[in-house]
Amino acid sequence: MRNHHDHGASPDDRSARIVRHHRRTFLRGGSLGAGTLALAWLLDREQAAAATKPPLPKEAPRIDLVPKRPHHPPRAKAMISLFMHGGPSHMDLTDPKPELTKRDGTDYPGDITYSFVNEASKKLLGTRWSFAKHGACGTEISELLPETAGIVDRICLLRGMHTGGNGHEVSIRYFHGGIPGVLGRPHLASWLLYGLGSETDNLPAYMVLTDPGGLPVDGVTNWSSGFMPPLFQGTVLRPKEPRILNLDPPPHLAGEPQRQSLDLLGALNRRHAARFPGQSDLDARIASYELAARMQTAAREALDISQETKATHALYGLDDDATREYGTRCLIARRLVERGVRFVQLFLAGQPWDNHSNLGSALPAICRRTDRPAAALVKDLAQRGMLDETIVHWGGEIGRLPVTQNQGAPEKHGRDHNGQGFSIWLAGGGIRPGMVHGATDEFGHRAVEGIVTPNDYQATLLHLFGLDWNELVFPHAGAAQIVTAGRPARVVHEILA
Amino acid sequence: MPSVPAARLVVAMAAVAAAGLAHDGPRAADETAPPVTFEEHVRPLLKAHCLDCHGATETLEGSLDLRLVRLMRAGGDSGPAIVPGDAAGSLILQRVRAGDMPPGEKKMSAAEQDLLARWISAGAPTKRPEPEAIAPGLAITPEERAFWAFQPVRRPDVTADPAVPRAPIDALVFGADGPLPAEAARHALVTRAFLTLTGLPPAHADVERWAADPSADWFDRLVDELLASPHYGEQWARHWLDVAGYADSEGATLADEVRPWAWRYRDYCIDAFNADVPFDRFIAEQLAGDEIAGARSGDWTAEQIRLLTATGFLRMAADGTGSGGDTPEGRNQTVADTVRIVGTSLLGMSVHCAQCHDHRYDPVLHTDYTALRAVFEPALDWKAWKTPAQRLVSIQTEAERAQAAAIEAEAQLVATDRAAKQAEFIRQALEQELAKFEEPLRGRLRGAYDAPEKERTDEQRALLKAHPSVNVTPGVLYQYLPKAAEELKALDKTIADIRAKKPAEEFIQALVEPAGHLPETRLFHRGDHQQPKQPVLPAPPQVAVPEGRHEPFATDDTSLPTSGRRLALARWLASPTNPLTARVIVNRIWLHHFGQGLVATPADFGSLGARPSHPALLDWLADEFTTRGWSVKHLQRVIMRTAAWRQARGGLPRGGLPAPLLRLEAETIRDRMLAATGTLDRSIGGRPVGIKDDDTGQTVVDGPQSRRSLYVQVRRSRPVAMLQAFDAPVMECNCEVRPVSTVATQSLMLLNGEFILDQAARLAERVVQVAASLDPPPAAASLATALPQPPRPTWTYGYGAVDEQAGRTATFAPLGHWTGSQWQAGDALPDAALGWVLLNASGGHPDAAERAVIRRWTAAADARVSVTGTLAHASEHGDGVRGRLVSSRTGLAGTWTAQHGSAATDAADLVVQAGDTLDFVTDCRTNHASDSFTWPVTLTIRTADGATAIAKSTEQFLGPTTVEPFAPTWIVAAWRLAYARDPSPEEVALAADFVHRQFVTFQARPAAVPEGRSPARQALVSLCQVLLGSNEFLYVD
Repeated sequence: MRNHHDHGASPDDRSARIVRHHRRTFLRGGSLGAGTLALAWLLDREQAAAATKPPLPKEAPRIDLVPKRPHHPPRAKAMISLFMHGGPSHMDLTDPKPELTKRDGTDYPGDITYSFVNEASKKLLGTRWSFAKHGACGTEISELLPETAGIVDRICLLRGMHTGGNGHEVSIRYFHGGIPGVLGRPHLASWLLYGLGSETDNLPAYMVLTDPGGLPVDGVTNWSSGFMPPLFQGTVLRPKEPRILNLDPPPHLAGEPQRQSLDLLGALNRRHAARFPGQSDLDARIASYELAARMQTAAREALDISQETKATHALYGLDDDATREYGTRCLIARRLVERGVRFVQLFLAGQPWDNHSNLGSALPAICRRTDRPAAALVKDLAQRGMLDETIVHWGGEIGRLPVTQNQGAPEKHGRDHNGQGFSIWLAGGGIRPGMVHGATDEFGHRAVEGIVTPNDYQATLLHLFGLDWNELVFPHAGAAQIVTAGRPARVVHEILA
Repeated sequence: MPSVPAARLVVAMAAVAAAGLAHDGPRAADETAPPVTFEEHVRPLLKAHCLDCHGATETLEGSLDLRLVRLMRAGGDSGPAIVPGDAAGSLILQRVRAGDMPPGEKKMSAAEQDLLARWISAGAPTKRPEPEAIAPGLAITPEERAFWAFQPVRRPDVTADPAVPRAPIDALVFGADGPLPAEAARHALVTRAFLTLTGLPPAHADVERWAADPSADWFDRLVDELLASPHYGEQWARHWLDVAGYADSEGATLADEVRPWAWRYRDYCIDAFNADVPFDRFIAEQLAGDEIAGARSGDWTAEQIRLLTATGFLRMAADGTGSGGDTPEGRNQTVADTVRIVGTSLLGMSVHCAQCHDHRYDPVLHTDYTALRAVFEPALDWKAWKTPAQRLVSIQTEAERAQAAAIEAEAQLVATDRAAKQAEFIRQALEQELAKFEEPLRGRLRGAYDAPEKERTDEQRALLKAHPSVNVTPGVLYQYLPKAAEELKALDKTIADIRAKKPAEEFIQALVEPAGHLPETRLFHRGDHQQPKQPVLPAPPQVAVPEGRHEPFATDDTSLPTSGRRLALARWLASPTNPLTARVIVNRIWLHHFGQGLVATPADFGSLGARPSHPALLDWLADEFTTRGWSVKHLQRVIMRTAAWRQARGGLPRGGLPAPLLRLEAETIRDRMLAATGTLDRSIGGRPVGIKDDDTGQTVVDGPQSRRSLYVQVRRSRPVAMLQAFDAPVMECNCEVRPVSTVATQSLMLLNGEFILDQAARLAERVVQVAASLDPPPAAASLATALPQPPRPTWTYGYGAVDEQAGRTATFAPLGHWTGSQWQAGDALPDAALGWVLLNASGGHPDAAERAVIRRWTAAADARVSVTGTLAHASEHGDGVRGRLVSSRTGLAGTWTAQHGSAATDAADLVVQAGDTLDFVTDCRTNHASDSFTWPVTLTIRTADGATAIAKSTEQFLGPTTVEPFAPTWIVAAWRLAYARDPSPEEVALAADFVHRQFVTFQARPAAVPEGRSPARQALVSLCQVLLGSNEFLYVD
């Protein structure tokens, strides 16, 4: 029997066989799933044969943020994703390769796909940083990530990640939207909102914290709701005023003047709605103005980190110039989740992990900036008892090659892109702590064991949120869309607690 | 083949009848369930889960074929798949129950498994005898063919009751003699007709005119007038552009390159709707305009240009092949998206779901998909691909070309002259340099320089290298002979100026099939272009033609230089044998009149789509449409005349037809705002208006916000925030139906967005103008005559002196010049007459003794006032300043001095009456050198009613203000401009109350009024903003 969800094939073969438009075609039948629907459809046909009465139109997808019951009991209620644009160099950070170090300077024996052919070389480049075992679990972490080393017992390190494509956009879109390189699809978080609704009435349920330095590669498409309505799109919390677009009135309207406008608007809208009883959309819009007004206060409060203790500030590195900015955003992320926000994603400007050159100086710099805040977030969530229901994700879209990207002088050397094998880590929300899953080959080039694709990642995360990735469907373009777009995927049960 | 045992069937049918076909409850035991047959129930289930591998392809997995019951009984390599009557003993059920099959994570649900079990237990019955032989593939079953959408259109008999005359549509919705719903008020009807047909609101005068029209046929004439409006085409083209997937950019790659000529297709659609081009012709032009246009002889004719432009429809799919995505995958994706747009827009079928295998739910075969693809293959051949730029068709005329050539010749004359001059200058510069060297070096250098570069000896090269200054080149000529370089530059400009006179070459984004190009189309196994299988000929989908009459299109129409395949498709789409297209189009027209189609899924008439709510009506419309020459305008007249369309909306559905208020589409909201403010540019067509990112990173319209939203550039990767928030599509492929969302981000945009704030200000301006021309003032305005007086400024800024004897301010002259941050005597400091006199938010500077500065507070009501403050003199020089507080009622209330330091300036319980003043007078003591001071004061004002207000001099510091009354006619004018009607008395009262509250706030917070606006004007701007963001503005009833 043909099995086009075969996971036994080599990763490259598999991605080559993936056909973009291979889409699952199941419509959603409430939360009951496709099976019930098939039966309803069947009965529908029977009914059509037995009587001329027209069948009921199918249920339209629910486009609102009302909390919804998941398919099964959830482990996680919220997620914070620390997205590391550019491709962190796993063999220098999370995936020790003694063989690579031993054969430093010799030729790599196999084939390599390069992005920058003009600077390509086959010379293996061993890491210049040392690894050590940490925690009770003994996971090896590089000296570049001393704080992350301190939380290894709380995280699950995935060393066998694989996107198959070396390009940034190809893999970023794969992680966010489900298909390599394809734009116009909803972010994973949009699916969560669609499937679960929002826990908060006062804040957007999906928030994006951008870097003061600018937007990440691929810009605003990083938080697009794709073919879903904008209701499920990420709301950007900007690093400077205005923090949320259109949230605050211009100064002259702030407070009482705008309150009076809202009052008049409410009065006119209510008079209007009274003429059309049963038009719930009119009421919804009246309510949405009120929500908008509430958000002004709630967002301010959530952003006010002066309410946090000195110890908390120190934990996130707010007292250190190198970590203050990223630490502040990590802390805000926790405050947002605390207030019912479903999904928070932090981005970095451009792609600081894209170390084609100057690996020796650029990599320590970005580690220095993010290591403490990321670890602090996990510790802080744990000490508040929130980690059980909050997933933290750390990772980029790709990793880096084991060979030198030649930039002339040795100190300028770097590493080129590698989507064949790299690391990310997950913590909390039903993820098994203190474990390593998957492995790359002896050089760190290709994932060879416990291979996890972005589609597996999506399936697993939806599973932890109580959703069947295969049952959560959104009708679009005449087909029932799912997060993985019908591509091979599986829940990675091995990493579940 | 045995069928269901007769006795069992009777029982089952009786049970169904007894249950009244109520299928919602839980399913009980077998006996109460309806009979299950292979054809009706089991095969669809197997098709969804199993037939991909066990039936659809020639090589069957495990040699197991599940297409017929007898084949299931025969089984495959592992033995029989079913044992009729023994569900538990049937291999298929065992494998399914065990989760082995189907492979992958997508399993049969429990209900589906139970159904399969029930069928096997019942003896695996079929509905009819199974065929002896079966051709490869899944073919189409009678059950599938019997689906409603594939039945021919049949015009229903609408029996007219002469006693109850009514339109056929009304008879089909409300019954031949059932009560009709009440008609909407005329104002609502006029507004609805305007917005539906043109997407623009009526002006107040329009509504008045139609409301006063006494003739019986007023509504027909209104509809005719609107159908004749050029804006009609804009609105209806907008709807079609959604379906066609219109965008001004290529998409597909990160570059998302701009399509500079897509707008011509948009304009073609506008013109086509305005001209009411019969829709079958409209389809043919878009699918095969190039084949209809014929070859070019001389210049393209206007008609040929129009026809070629129409094929822009087939160039709407995202296409990254010209911007870094020219791969086999990229090319095939563009072809696939094109087929998908055609399928969803014209067939109403998700044909694209059969791209990789037979459609799992609809009878659309993998070969049907490929046959459709074959129609487009000659023009969109992925093996002989053209990038978007290569497909552009130049519409330059011979005359223009000749003109351009003549101009180029003229430019060449100058260019030749320039070249000669340059050579001469270089020689001149060289000689100048060489003169600096002695012979024989000079000669050798000249020789080296003059030698052609490739022929230079090593010695000559070394020589030149050693004497860099003789290497005179055009690029560095300016360093030697600056004037000569200027002269050359001037010549460059002359050349550029001449060339600029060339007529600009314009293009059409078209799909043009090369003559005699007939590539083979092969079925792609699993949709993979690297696995081509058998060749497939162009043909319509099998299910959409009567059984047994399936005929492919001609592969090559010999009467045309091109293959003629697309023309053949267009003809078939419009032929009576095709049951789909006419229904699909009338459903879309209905959708845009009622907010919902008769089929709620306008792009999917298949089994996963919705069923028609009024099937007979859908057929009536389709027949009326085609028999009346596919005239869209005719159909719209017919629809809009009905009681169904003219009913008062927002009540409960009548006749099964929901009639809700409709949220305006994103473009209409924006256009309506522009229309209300009077800034709308009503010109039709042309290049799109650009977009940009504003300071906050939002994409906004670039430049003046005056053109209709239809003309705003559609970049796939950069949707305009305002439009996207209200559900304008972001074109991934095409937009089949728009969602309508109601979210807080929309409200935030309407409360605080730059666009709305700007529009509110513009509307306010227009309100004032219109109100001035209301003569006599409308009656509604008289209801608001009791509007409050606007707040007068509490603080005024001047200079003068204190009468030391009387203890009163002797003179107070206002300062006349406002710099934007401070008051002073004139625009220069020191002022010729008044010297250094100035006042700013926190303090100021006095001049000589009689020119003390005075900050004056005027009481709005009787009160007791306490003052706290600090007078500070920061400078280390001078003798400091003296501050005095002088009440107009009680005289001097305090004297303080500050010199290189500060003094608290508190005064308690000053009694004031309305109109009294408190002056904060600062003088220079004995000399006014280094007398900058600060003196912020806080007044706590307790009025007789017990209320306490705080007035801080710094916060309330203000530039010039104008006192302007709020005219009652403003309210009326605002209502007319926003809603095209007069306000009701209650609404006038609400508005008046709002103005009153605003004034109270402004009195206490003068800073709430932006500079340059009067308080009355600010209240009006806010009132206008409320109207623009209100439900009455955003919805049409």
